Amino acid sequence: MEAKVPSATRPAAGPPTRARKSGEVILKAEGLVKHYGSVKAVQGIDFELRRGEVLGCLGPNGAGKSTTIRCILDLLRPTAGHIEVFGLDPRHDGVAIRSRLTYVPGELRLPERLTGRQLTDSIGRLRGGLDNSRRDDLAARLKLDLNRRTRQLSSGNRRKLALLLAFLWPAELLILDEPTNGLDPLMQHEFVCLLRETRDAGTTVFLSSHVLSEVQRTADRVLVLRSGKIVAQGTVSELRNRTSQRVEVWFDGGVPAGLGKVPGLADGRKDDHYFTASLTGSIRPLLAFLAGKPVNSMLIEEPDLEDAFLDLYEEQQ
Amino acid sequence: MNVRNLELVFGPARAILRSGLIWMLAIATIVFMTVAVWPAFRGDTTIGDAMKNLPSGVVEAFGLQDFATPAGFLRANLYDFFIPLLIAGAAVGFVNSLASGEEDSGRLELILSQPATRQAIFLGRAIAVCAWVLLITVVTTLVQFGSDSMFDLQIGSDKLLATLALSFLLAFFTGALCLAVAGLWGRPAAVLGVGLFLALGGCIIAALFPLSDVLKPLAQLSPWNWAFDGDPLVNDTQPWRYLSLGLPGIALTALGVWAFGRRDIAAA
Repeated sequence: MEAKVPSATRPAAGPPTRARKSGEVILKAEGLVKHYGSVKAVQGIDFELRRGEVLGCLGPNGAGKSTTIRCILDLLRPTAGHIEVFGLDPRHDGVAIRSRLTYVPGELRLPERLTGRQLTDSIGRLRGGLDNSRRDDLAARLKLDLNRRTRQLSSGNRRKLALLLAFLWPAELLILDEPTNGLDPLMQHEFVCLLRETRDAGTTVFLSSHVLSEVQRTADRVLVLRSGKIVAQGTVSELRNRTSQRVEVWFDGGVPAGLGKVPGLADGRKDDHYFTASLTGSIRPLLAFLAGKPVNSMLIEEPDLEDAFLDLYEEQQ
Repeated sequence: MNVRNLELVFGPARAILRSGLIWMLAIATIVFMTVAVWPAFRGDTTIGDAMKNLPSGVVEAFGLQDFATPAGFLRANLYDFFIPLLIAGAAVGFVNSLASGEEDSGRLELILSQPATRQAIFLGRAIAVCAWVLLITVVTTLVQFGSDSMFDLQIGSDKLLATLALSFLLAFFTGALCLAVAGLWGRPAAVLGVGLFLALGGCIIAALFPLSDVLKPLAQLSPWNWAFDGDPLVNDTQPWRYLSLGLPGIALTALGVWAFGRRDIAAA
């Protein structure tokens, strides 16, 4: 959704549109390393984010997600490696980069004496303009009272205010660090709707989250970090395919011979007319085997990202 | 100055509005109440006689000489210790609140993710601190002159202005040192420690070290000495005293701005 910022106050970079070159790499990390003394927070990660994509970044606490984001924003200086945002170096072109992105911090701390309206006005002056009607629309959608001081707001309402600040300006890149922490399920749903609208308008999104379902619903690709290293990256379906799913088949008659040797099946167990096994990878060899066999019914559990995520961590550990 | 740069100054200035007004009111009240008792001391010779029984070094250390004169009364009760220390304390508090405190709490992160350079953000805060300290000094000056007139305390306005200008510059220097520490490390404990050491320790060094022949030369190291050793309520102030506080203050502020642009920002 594109905000209608008066032309005189619109940021120079302009809003994102589908007309912009799709597929262009707008965020790139090469060999990114960040150490805090002896703590190796990020240990040489490489990834790219293309225009219009939503990249989900998953990982447990201390995986290096927030450190990576803080390097992108030039809040931290990498120990080694290189980051490019919009083809620019965050260290030298920070203002140009930050004028084209918005950000929701993971550890949310807001000025306590300002009301939501005063805070958005203040940030508006720093960003060169503010669309009041869009602010009011967003506040209504998020059920947020902008006239209360931030210190009077619950943690959930503070999070809503941070989200409002992120979605208020037309940005080319949206960086979200644990954006739904403290939000109730209804607001989490509203956030997903806002995110999809923003993505549909052409905004690129870097989403760091613990909420796997949120990433599963919104991300095109996923990056999984652990101990400062990328342990997996790919599309959501690619990650799903890495995990096993339980298959159960009931036959009119006995279980056909050779079923347990179908590629991808493991831990097969049969009992008269019933067969169950775990399936990893493509289901096609199994379906090809079962074609023409007297199958009565079949049940395949849908694997989700949580399973894939947990499997990944079990593999690493 | 565009809207963004103005916000980088006025935003932080608004953030310390309440504490700024409290400091201002407290200092103005102390000045008014002190001057209000001046008529009881005017021309009183008994205090001067009592002082004669004290060692001259102690009398000078605590600024008690000529207590019954307007200059001696103001020196002993306000400008030898209290007012410069309070204004410097305000500067330390403001720097701690706007620079290191905001960074340490994580509140600076939202501002630093906006399209402004780190240096501009830090400089905006430095200007906000400086403006508040100047405003407090100006109000103190107005209250001082008003009280003097009300209670018939007659002192040369040039001497009083010089003393208050030196008080401001001492606070500016102290605040600038705190800004340099905040820019280099961003740790509130370091900022408070260095600031309070300079404000309190500098005062003690300037007042007490001259009592010892061994320590006396070290008294020259204290900025309090640079500011007030010439007794500005009585004598004309040499220009180098202003420069000795103002120029290093500017350099320390520049160091803080430069350092803040080069290091990692602390996470909440």
